[in-house]
Formats: sequence, C-alpha cells, structure tokens
Amino acid sequence: MQLKNTSTRYGTVAQLFHWVIVVLIITQFVLAKRADGLSPVAKIGVLATHKSVGITILLLAILRLTWRLFNRVPPMPAGTPRWQELAAHASHFLLYALLFIQPVLGWLMSSARAFSVSWWGLVTLPDFIEPNRAAFERLHDWHEAMAYTLAALALIHIAAAIKHHFFDHDDVLRRMLPVPDRRPRS
Amino acid sequence: MHTYQSFRYLLVLVLVCGSVALAATQWTLQPKESKLTFVGTQAGAEFEGTFERFTADIKFDPQDLAGSRFDVKIDMASANTRDSERDDTLKSDDLFAVKQFPTSHYVADRFAAKGGKYTATGKLTLRNVTREVPIEFTFEKKNGSAWLKGSAGLKRLDFGVGQGDWKDISTVNNEVKVNFALLLKP
Repeated sequence: MQLKNTSTRYGTVAQLFHWVIVVLIITQFVLAKRADGLSPVAKIGVLATHKSVGITILLLAILRLTWRLFNRVPPMPAGTPRWQELAAHASHFLLYALLFIQPVLGWLMSSARAFSVSWWGLVTLPDFIEPNRAAFERLHDWHEAMAYTLAALALIHIAAAIKHHFFDHDDVLRRMLPVPDRRPRS
Repeated sequence: MHTYQSFRYLLVLVLVCGSVALAATQWTLQPKESKLTFVGTQAGAEFEGTFERFTADIKFDPQDLAGSRFDVKIDMASANTRDSERDDTLKSDDLFAVKQFPTSHYVADRFAAKGGKYTATGKLTLRNVTREVPIEFTFEKKNGSAWLKGSAGLKRLDFGVGQGDWKDISTVNNEVKVNFALLLKP
C-alpha cells in the first residue's frame, strides 16, 4: 500500500479522502431528509450535525485538493475515447466544485437566518452576510438544487465506474480501492 | 414680615436641597440609545436577541446606594433575534408565552460597590416565576448624562422558559446572558 499516487493507482491518502467524503455526503442527504419532519428542537440538533459534517467536508475538500496538487493523477486507460476523457474531466471538476459550493451555500444560508454555524461545538464560524429572509430563501433553493445536481453527478460517476469495471474490464474502479489490480500492467 | 418671608424661602430651599441630596438621582431612560439584549446558545452557536421595548425607572447614585433602585419592565413580545421564525417560536407558549405573560419585571434595591463596579441583587419575574438575579454593572457620568452598562447570567429553565421538548438543554443551553447599556439623563 502506497500513500502517494502512482502512475497507475491512487494512493492510500487519496483513497481515504475519496471514501470518507462519500460516506459524509451520504450522511448529509440522510440528515437533511430526516430534519424535514422533526419537531423544532430535534430539527435544530439534526441540522447542527448536518452543518458540522458540511464544514468537515469543506475542510477535507481543501486538504484533498491540496494533496492532489502534490500528486500525479493516474491517467485514464490508454485508448479512452476523447469524449469520455472530456466527460470524465468535466464531471470530476464539477464534483470537486460542489464539495466547496455546497458547504459554503449552507454556511451562508445559516448566516442569512442569524443562525451562526458551530463546527461540532468547538468553533463558531463568522457570518459573512447579514440576516435576510429573502436571501435565505434563495440560498436554500440553491442549496437544494446543488444537492440534486450532486446526486445526479454521483450517479453518472457510479455508472461510469461500473461500466469500466464490468464492461471494459479495466482497473479504473480498482485503482480507487485497496485491492490489487486485475492483471499486471505491461 | 419681610424677614419672615425670607426665612420661609430659606427653609423651603434647605428642605428641597436636603431631600435631593438624600434621595438618589432619578434618571430618565433614553430608549433610542439604550440596549437590552440576551444571548442564548443554540446548537453550540450563540445568538443575540434584542428587547425593543422596555422601560427602566432608575434611581441611582454612587454616593447613595441605599437610596438607589432599579425597576425595569420588559415587553417580551418585542424580542427580536433577527429571524422571524425563531422570534415566533420564542414567543410561543413553550417559551416566553407572551400571550399569558406579556411583561417581565426586574426590581433591584440592594446595591454594593466593588472596585469601580457595582453589583445589585434584584428579583426577576419572568413567566410569573420570581427569582433572584444578580447583576454587575458600571456607571459612568458624562456631560450630565450617564451610561449604565452591565450584564447578568440566568438559567432559562429556572423560569420555565422551555416547556416540553424545549426542556432539553443539549440543543438550547440553559444558560442565558443578559446585557444592557442604558443611556440615562437626569
């Protein structure tokens, strides 16, 4: 197991970033859905966790991108069609962008309702905007729209991974997992 | 006759001056410049609310603490936390219950000086529950007017602010801070 990426595989650190963020994003969807039907007090508690997880994702995204800068990114399999390469880059770029956009939208949303964000009760984040109901409604709509966009992109991402694994029989999925390659590379 | 008249004036003058010197100065609150706020903690983050309507009958003189007295009446429905939804919740029956208990009342008549600061032990009646709440404050005279600034700490559940689900203090802390800055004119 190698910490840094190699020319063919993602290293342990990059894999950890990927899968931890996957788990946290799923948590976010679950918490957001659950908050809807709750009593006011319980809702405050669930949303507090949602906010703390969101800010954790933002921090991890910053670390992940920094790590990526100091690592080579394993290239796509030889012979990948140009359009697939472009689609992959575009969707990866958007997924990364959403890791930043979503938490920031949520943070601003909270500020817009004069609910400051506390990160696990340890740090209270500053409010960059003044309380404003109309702004809150807009930010809420955006936050929701971005959540659906993220879900859609994740589905495309998963579909692509399945295609590579089961139809192309390459190592695109395996290289993001702690398992050996399917066959020795030439 | 003339002497007698002068004597009577003198007597009145002495009596008036004497009573003024005995009684602590009666101050008039300047509502526009004055502030009465409370700070609660919700899901780890503080939020501030302002009471926009309150009256304060302040008799205070550092030289005559025994004759000093605070009598403050707060219109609970004037609470503003910069989020209308939270304000409505706050005014509802489980919290301030403003329909039943529109006014809270603070009376202090025991004062002590302590290193340039003052303390008062007063009684706060909130939701029809009366309890002692000590306050600490400074008193600064400037160009004839005076600033009375200080704070108090209280536990909301002591006054029943939080019925039902709101008794939970893991989401909304029990401790609430009250801050005031009152501009007074003679």
